[in-house]
Amino acid sequence: MATLDLKKISKSFGEAKVLHDIDLAIRDKEFVVFVGPSGCGKSTLLRIIAGLEEATEGAIIIGGDDVSKAHPVERGISMVFQSYALYPHLSVYENIAFPLRVQKMEAQELDARVQKAAGILQLTEKLQLKPGQLSGGQRQRVAIGRSIVREPSVFLFDEPLSNLDAALRGDMRVELSQLHRNLDATMVYVTHDQIEAMTMADRIVVLNGGRVEQFGTPMELYHHPQTKFVAGFIGQPNMNFVPATISQVAASGVSVDLDCGGSLTLPVEPGSAAAGDRVEVGIRPEDISTGEGINLNVTVLERLGGVTISYGTLNDGTRFCAALDGVATAKEGEPVGITVDPAACHLFDASGSVLRRKNAPVLAS
Amino acid sequence: MANTATKSQKIRRSLPEAWFAWALITPAVIFIGVIVAWPLFETFRLSFTDARLGGENYVGLENYAELADSRKFQQTIVRTFYWMFLSVSLKLVLGLIGATLLNAAVPGRALFRVLVMPPWVIPMAIGMIGWLWLYNGAFGVLSGTAQHFGIIDKAFEFLAYKQSAFYSAVVADVWVGTPMVTLFFLAAMQGVSRDLYEAAWVDGAGRWYRFRRITIPQIMPVIVSMALLSAIFTFNSFEIIWILTEGGPRNATTTLIIDTYKTAIGNFKFGEGAARAVVIVVLLAVFSLIYLFFLNKVNKHYGVK
Repeated sequence: MATLDLKKISKSFGEAKVLHDIDLAIRDKEFVVFVGPSGCGKSTLLRIIAGLEEATEGAIIIGGDDVSKAHPVERGISMVFQSYALYPHLSVYENIAFPLRVQKMEAQELDARVQKAAGILQLTEKLQLKPGQLSGGQRQRVAIGRSIVREPSVFLFDEPLSNLDAALRGDMRVELSQLHRNLDATMVYVTHDQIEAMTMADRIVVLNGGRVEQFGTPMELYHHPQTKFVAGFIGQPNMNFVPATISQVAASGVSVDLDCGGSLTLPVEPGSAAAGDRVEVGIRPEDISTGEGINLNVTVLERLGGVTISYGTLNDGTRFCAALDGVATAKEGEPVGITVDPAACHLFDASGSVLRRKNAPVLAS
Repeated sequence: MANTATKSQKIRRSLPEAWFAWALITPAVIFIGVIVAWPLFETFRLSFTDARLGGENYVGLENYAELADSRKFQQTIVRTFYWMFLSVSLKLVLGLIGATLLNAAVPGRALFRVLVMPPWVIPMAIGMIGWLWLYNGAFGVLSGTAQHFGIIDKAFEFLAYKQSAFYSAVVADVWVGTPMVTLFFLAAMQGVSRDLYEAAWVDGAGRWYRFRRITIPQIMPVIVSMALLSAIFTFNSFEIIWILTEGGPRNATTTLIIDTYKTAIGNFKFGEGAARAVVIVVLLAVFSLIYLFFLNKVNKHYGVK
């Protein structure tokens, strides 16, 4: 059992407070991804879990034991670094065996464990090479191999794929997901790439400015972002935010007048919203289709075949992006009529909090 | 555009590339010829003569035969290598310890880094005069302190006895040579990625284990290069011994370079001195070759790109 609980973790470097009362409960065998823009504190939080940094306040509880002051080995964690941190003077074999050598493990058992790890990671052929002779992806695997031989209960990954090229990153995502299934261990993974988060995570922690914005499954985050920040961060291309004013509040939904012209009635819980409030309507590019209603003045078109990503501005000057049909007739420099299903829209009040959608797709999780 | 092209073609025709290349390296060739090659050749030529103040006659291999038969000269060679190995080993060990301490995260370490410099920075002669006073029996601090604590019962003249003079000279040489080694090692240590230490620490490696299995291998190429440099400096170290003991007492601190100086400059036996200089060149060349071969292996082993 390796649950990982963070209780009111705060961290300050001198005057600068980088983490504010982080509370998280990570379940056993869960793959959790910390995602956020650079400087949001995600790496610091991971280093605190690893024991490389000490939290200013709060407690870390792994498998029910308070390990806030414990050494990483006692915590039962292992970590994969962004730079891989391989020892260039040691062979792949010795790199993987390093944590076991530290423990002075008996030779036979050590060899068995290294061979097993090499087998899992397809490194058996490479054991006698030096890291310098390996490709980026192979080095990455050696770093993972070093972390699995110790059989820790929690794996920590600090942006492990950011040094790889795009194609390899895609392959490694799949490999890491498989590894998680094979090892059946708790994994915490830090990245700034929301695609990595969406594809691999059981649950995602979105961090912003040292605070947890939202903690949930990828589909929860996608369909029910609690804040404008999460809505804008998750999803590719990014969500559009269209300024509007509430014209009418009813039990069935909220009607808004868009600044760019036109009006929508969104089926959301009105909460404390009142007519006259300034709001923003969040519209995902993929929920838009050509039609009548809103004018998009296209400036750039990216034709990807299946879809046409159209960048431009609305009539009031708001920047807007729409993922239209692959064969859409839009032309650069010309306006195109678009339409959106009000049920797919998100509504954010002036503070950036969402008004919960009523008919979002039901999640099978 | 076309105009420039024809112009440059014209220049190329009038000044072939080979000429231009020669023009570039000629100053360096002349410089090396005058400063290095000619003296080397001249030394080599002199070593086959009995050159002295009065003139010179060709004597063939006589000077070398004399050296080969001289037990004193053989002892000098052995002493020189012993001096070199002892001094270089101490410099490397102390340099490693010093660099490790200076690399530690302690408050005010910038100040300590400056404080190791003086032995290297102050003029050698002044430093050595300081050591002369330290080693002085009647007035020296070392002798005085030792007497005060009852370690010795009467004044001890460090430079007056064969063994103590030799080891005193080694200490002074180490004092001069350690700061440079320390700073080079420190620079190398600072180049070792922090991630490696963090990764090892997370895996449970202790301080000593990390030093042994990360720091040392990572800076090994620097240690090896530094050892070679330091060995050559120490082998040829002249001022320190000359100021402290002039090679005495009874040749106890006479290294090859001191012997050569005494013969050639002190006794005006230029021919014999030149033969000694040639022996030094040959010994150092062989030593360096073996060393460079070894260095290459080390670099390969430690995965230097």
